[in-house]
Amino acid sequence: MSGSDSSLVEVGPVEEFEDGEHQLVDVGRAEVGVVKADGEFYALRNQCPHDGGPVCQGPVQKELLGEFTGTGERIEQYYGDESIISCPWHGWSFELETGKHIGDDRIQVPTYEVVVEDGVVYVDGGD
Amino acid sequence: MIDPTEERVIDCDWHYQDSFKEIAEYMPEPWRTKYKRSGWDDAGVKQNVSSFFPTSTGDRQNYGKVVREHSNYPDEPEEPERVREGMDFLDIDDSLQISHLALAMGGVTADDERVQAFTKGYVEYMREEVLDPDDGVYGLAMIPYDDIEASLEILERVEDDEAFVGACFVTAGAPPPLGNRKYDPIYERCEEMDYPVVYHTGGSGLDEYVRAGYQEMIETHTLGFLESNMSQIVSVACQGVPEKYPDLDIVFMESGVTYIPGLVSRLDEEYLKRPEEAPLLDTRPSEYITDFYFGTQPLEVSARNDLLELCFDMVGTDRMLYASDYPHWDFDSPSIINDLPMLDDDDRRAILAGNAEEVFGL
Repeated sequence: MSGSDSSLVEVGPVEEFEDGEHQLVDVGRAEVGVVKADGEFYALRNQCPHDGGPVCQGPVQKELLGEFTGTGERIEQYYGDESIISCPWHGWSFELETGKHIGDDRIQVPTYEVVVEDGVVYVDGGD
Repeated sequence: MIDPTEERVIDCDWHYQDSFKEIAEYMPEPWRTKYKRSGWDDAGVKQNVSSFFPTSTGDRQNYGKVVREHSNYPDEPEEPERVREGMDFLDIDDSLQISHLALAMGGVTADDERVQAFTKGYVEYMREEVLDPDDGVYGLAMIPYDDIEASLEILERVEDDEAFVGACFVTAGAPPPLGNRKYDPIYERCEEMDYPVVYHTGGSGLDEYVRAGYQEMIETHTLGFLESNMSQIVSVACQGVPEKYPDLDIVFMESGVTYIPGLVSRLDEEYLKRPEEAPLLDTRPSEYITDFYFGTQPLEVSARNDLLELCFDMVGTDRMLYASDYPHWDFDSPSIINDLPMLDDDDRRAILAGNAEEVFGL
């Protein structure tokens, strides 16, 4: 716990995270996964809104997108800039940044702010 | 050399031109009576596609129960004036005619031009002999979608003809399914023409529909028609036709309404697990599909009222189009809609005419 802000929950040293890896921490009564992707940290509740699966323990990758480029053309597929995480149980996938389901943004996993201070990663549990 | 007239000769391959009419007399019951009541007569002597048993489990006239005039696929060609007689019988003001023969075109696998020739001839025949927009008899152009060029030629032909108000795609057959990019040029042209695409289910030769081995029409007619439409709805939605051509009106005909909530619910479940596989969709497939229009026939009036109400609610009464399917055996008269207890009169008017006025520009 940070001495300067009681809402911060310590996760661990920055150097313990590899890209695409996660660590779990309890924030209040919620289990939260802290995930590193492309050098950035994200925190989401580790409970898939679909069936309660451990969403933060799933694979992290770029979102696969498709574009209509013209009549009769095959849909052009490419990996976009958005990092997503997929629940290992059924594959429901969410933007790490927003927690929104990539197929229906009305479905959302709660997200938390991540703070890095003095080489240590914290999750802001709010008030 | 011998003299065959003086020798014994054995022909090991003679084809006796038997007919079901004669053979039926010698068949065991109940098949003897079933055959005799099915009106097949001498069918089978000619070598048509399905000449052994001149029927499939999709034959509406099997075993002779529905005796109303026109209830079967006719042996005699239709007469144009009987369209108006039928419309008077049902008290219908306008009708959209499609080809009943073309419903079987999905079964053509030969690489010739019979489908193209038929669909082009159909346009000319209907225009010359049958359609009469001043009297409420309109037509849909049957699209030989396997041949893009021929399809575009037909659309070109009907574009400025007020008697034609849409394009009809038969959903049976169609490999690849109708969401494939191959058909894009047809959709693009229809959108440009403000021509709705009417996907019409089909299931002639239903014996092997979905899988071989069914025994009765009650099985194949239920499953085949549903499968034809469901397979194309899934393809059209998942491949993003509504995103590619957002102003295209999409209509699905002749599978009732109760399958729609089940199908879209199932598809949505898949989509939420694998949305990357339908990358053109911005949201759940159900939200696109319930923007399609649906012909109501054969409406499942025996279903629980609350189920029907749910179906109408999910699809929307602004998306339903009354369809009779006349003169086929399972036609719906307008009272099927009018008698539904959960509709108000505005809904009834919309389903019976208003929605069609909008979609087809009538």
